[in-house]
Amino acid sequence: MSEPLSQYAHPEALVSTDWLAEHLNEPGTRLVESNEDLLLYDTGHIPGAVHIDWRQDLQDPLVRDYIAPAAFAALCERNGISPETTVIFYGDKSNWWATYALWAFRLFGHTKVKIVNGGRDKWVKEGRPLTKDKPKVTPAEYPVPAKRFDDEIRAFYEDAHAQMQDGLPLIDVRSPGEFKGDVTHMPEYPQEGVLRGGHIPGAKSVPWKMAVNEDATFKSPADLQKIYTEGCGLKKDDEIVAYCRIGERSSHTWFVLTYLLGYETVRNYDGSWTEWGNRVRAPIERGEG
Amino acid sequence: MSKGCYEPPENPPPSSYPKKLANIIGLFESLPEEEKRENLIAYSEQTKKYEPRPDETFDLEDVRKDEECTDTVGVFLKVHEGRRAQFRITLGPQVQTLTKAMTSILCKGLEDSAPEEILELPADFVPKIVGGQLVRARSQTVYYILTRMKSVCKVYLNRLRAAQQSA
Repeated sequence: MSEPLSQYAHPEALVSTDWLAEHLNEPGTRLVESNEDLLLYDTGHIPGAVHIDWRQDLQDPLVRDYIAPAAFAALCERNGISPETTVIFYGDKSNWWATYALWAFRLFGHTKVKIVNGGRDKWVKEGRPLTKDKPKVTPAEYPVPAKRFDDEIRAFYEDAHAQMQDGLPLIDVRSPGEFKGDVTHMPEYPQEGVLRGGHIPGAKSVPWKMAVNEDATFKSPADLQKIYTEGCGLKKDDEIVAYCRIGERSSHTWFVLTYLLGYETVRNYDGSWTEWGNRVRAPIERGEG
Repeated sequence: MSKGCYEPPENPPPSSYPKKLANIIGLFESLPEEEKRENLIAYSEQTKKYEPRPDETFDLEDVRKDEECTDTVGVFLKVHEGRRAQFRITLGPQVQTLTKAMTSILCKGLEDSAPEEILELPADFVPKIVGGQLVRARSQTVYYILTRMKSVCKVYLNRLRAAQQSA
């Protein structure tokens, strides 16, 4: 693997577009596109990629939760993914939904996962090929996972509340306006049903975007350390919780902290502000924090 | 209601769509989900067709970047004789595919409709075209183009009314 990817804490979790171009359809791998733009995959995708929809494929249709282990196994099987398959994720919006899908795979104990650095935008800007042809997938066998690993990488309201009470690190990755409570939606998006603006008391504002370059690639390890290790004072053994509005931008930061900087206990609070900001009697702080 | 400002009636009659739009809605309603998606992609690839042409002039031009949409959208309205509206739209590169598709559908479907008719058009046809699976919190900008078109029609009608009152 080329520099500087090798300098990240877990360089095995990141591939470059150059590497991907040379390893398309490599046995033992499955390329997965996951986007916010729901029809983007259908307009053209990287050859060999399958599509996983963050809501339809990964979320329970009734309860605000993720799919059950049996549904995850079925999802993997129809996409030709076995427990031994290395799943390489990429997508739009600087890989928001790709990291979200990767995080969801980790919930089910699938650890052979990678992200394409720069995601779909970088691949397209480099003039690399796209196709509308969906790959012919040979179904794989995926035993139903015994459990979901929510305890390890997912935080619930009670966890975030305890984090606040104990003064442990809470990273708010939303835009500064959302953090301060000036707006109840993120810039360029419609309101998504939040009654109150602000942030969890004690949370630090570190917008997700600080972790990426203009071309959507991740910043260098040194730059990331300046932001999170020096700027936020995060220590290696800290228990860290990240949140945003619905958990996708915080998945991105979760990936940065876990895989690129090597923090060992990072959890994504996927209920995020759409839960906290609407919850009766949940304490809220406004302003710079 | 402010005096001189056009507002749609409080109790609009049962929804009826302009004929061209009704045809498109009927087509989409008859399609299974997979073919709906294919048709949406096809419409999303036709947006260039509805961009302003160098020789065209317009009664109203409204180009702006709103918080509700991911990129700049320009709406251009020409009202021909017989109160037949024609829209041209420019879209920034970050606009989502569904929004692009809805742009082509609305430009085609509302062609030759009267501005008053467009202003009173209910938005309930959008899920009929897009399908239940694709309408969700993060795809609400699918309604955005219709809102912008209505906004331009409202300004057009207000100006027309003001001109008539001062004449």
